[in-house]
Amino acid sequence: MDFSLLPKQIEAVFRENSLLAKSILSQIYQITPLAMQKLKRERIKIMNFCGSHEWTTTHYGLRYMIPKEIELIPGPGCPVCVTPSSDIENIIKLAMEGFRIYTFGDVFKLPTVKHYKKDEVGSLAVAKSMNADVQIVYSFIDAVDDAKHNKKPSIFMGIGFETTAPSYAILFERNKVPENLLFYSSLRLTAPAAEYAIKLHKDKGSIPISGVIAPGHVSTIIGAMSWDFLPKEYKIPAVVTGFEPMDVIASILKILQMIYTENISYTELEYKRVATREGNKYAQNAINKVFVVTDAIWRGIGLIPKSGLALQEKYSKYDAKEQLGIKDVPWDYDLPPNCKCAEVTLGMAYPTDCPMFMKACTPAKPWGPCMVSMEGACSVWARFGSVQKVLNIMDEVR
Amino acid sequence: MCWGVPARVISIDSDVTATVDFLSGTLKKVVIGVDDLKVGDFVIVHAGVIISKITKEDVIENINFIAEQIRETALMTGEDADKAVKEFLNMAMKILGE
Repeated sequence: MDFSLLPKQIEAVFRENSLLAKSILSQIYQITPLAMQKLKRERIKIMNFCGSHEWTTTHYGLRYMIPKEIELIPGPGCPVCVTPSSDIENIIKLAMEGFRIYTFGDVFKLPTVKHYKKDEVGSLAVAKSMNADVQIVYSFIDAVDDAKHNKKPSIFMGIGFETTAPSYAILFERNKVPENLLFYSSLRLTAPAAEYAIKLHKDKGSIPISGVIAPGHVSTIIGAMSWDFLPKEYKIPAVVTGFEPMDVIASILKILQMIYTENISYTELEYKRVATREGNKYAQNAINKVFVVTDAIWRGIGLIPKSGLALQEKYSKYDAKEQLGIKDVPWDYDLPPNCKCAEVTLGMAYPTDCPMFMKACTPAKPWGPCMVSMEGACSVWARFGSVQKVLNIMDEVR
Repeated sequence: MCWGVPARVISIDSDVTATVDFLSGTLKKVVIGVDDLKVGDFVIVHAGVIISKITKEDVIENINFIAEQIRETALMTGEDADKAVKEFLNMAMKILGE
């Protein structure tokens, strides 16, 4: 079998497929009024929890293909956006003090609120420009290989969600990490943040969230069943979804069906080609052996209970915070003035509601953290959202 | 952080690492994050770790899920369910060579 064929076939079915798009969209248009009647609402709010879904939605203009009564809102699924400023400030200080720092490319550009030595250093990029040893890596294994070779005191800035956690956990569990490489955990768990956002929408008296497009690759690790609290406790349809446009619109159709039939008992799984209900047991075992669940701070939002991962005590010799005596400090508001990143992250505002969007805050020079990563809603809207703006203006002109 | 990239396993290099081809000739050393990985497997790689394998059977299951949603909605809205599904399934299976 030609193995390069399968990805092309997947693209042909799930991406470049106007016939299927028309078929699904026609059914979405038919069932939307029925779902609205059932909810007794004039709008149906559906939230995604993954920056990659926001990318697919905006990049392919899906908001302009579906009925106007369906509101697709971005959620807290961007780890770069929610990494506390204090964590980056700590890492910058360590970089300036002589440690070699390994980081992902997005974290490199992340702006902090407080600057090292007054106004000098407000990101790892600036630290590097001032001769700090900051290395951008594709993955933890690259840092492990490099640290083994150079033997320099080094720190890996470990951000990410459940999807990234196994890339760290497996190497720790198999004793592959050299002792000169410390790990600074800024890992976050998605489900507690999802629940936080759902409650917020309910408590604030805005239109409640009526459906959730659940993250495909996080669920590949933790299992679709991890989202069952949404249908079971909140009676909100949840569908674990893939990242092609057909995946997203098929999941919207499924959510509308669940609203109409009121058959909302467990999480549905659309992304069957990759994820399962139970998840990846191999990865789960490694994560459970290496990390422990902790309370964690989300940038601009504050503390969310049981939403982070830290190294277990038996790996404390690798724990950068423990080895270097870095104390957790109480959360202080950590977004720059006028930045609406917290509201955008929680689905309470669109990027265009922010006064800084595409003015003082652009992909070339981000003011807030949601403009940095390709998974940040502001960054996605800045790069691909102009089509929507143009279509809006054309609607008004007509 | 769900950015996953499809790849093919070129070699299994140790108990924890493999080399994959990102289907563009770009080779990369990655961590094995799944059970029973074999050379030639088609996988999804996220931040340097293989998080899942993909088979044609899984893709067909995914297609059947979408077909089922089309069928159910057609039944709810009084359309011809078989007709609504048939066109899509024929097209999808033709693409997959089934």
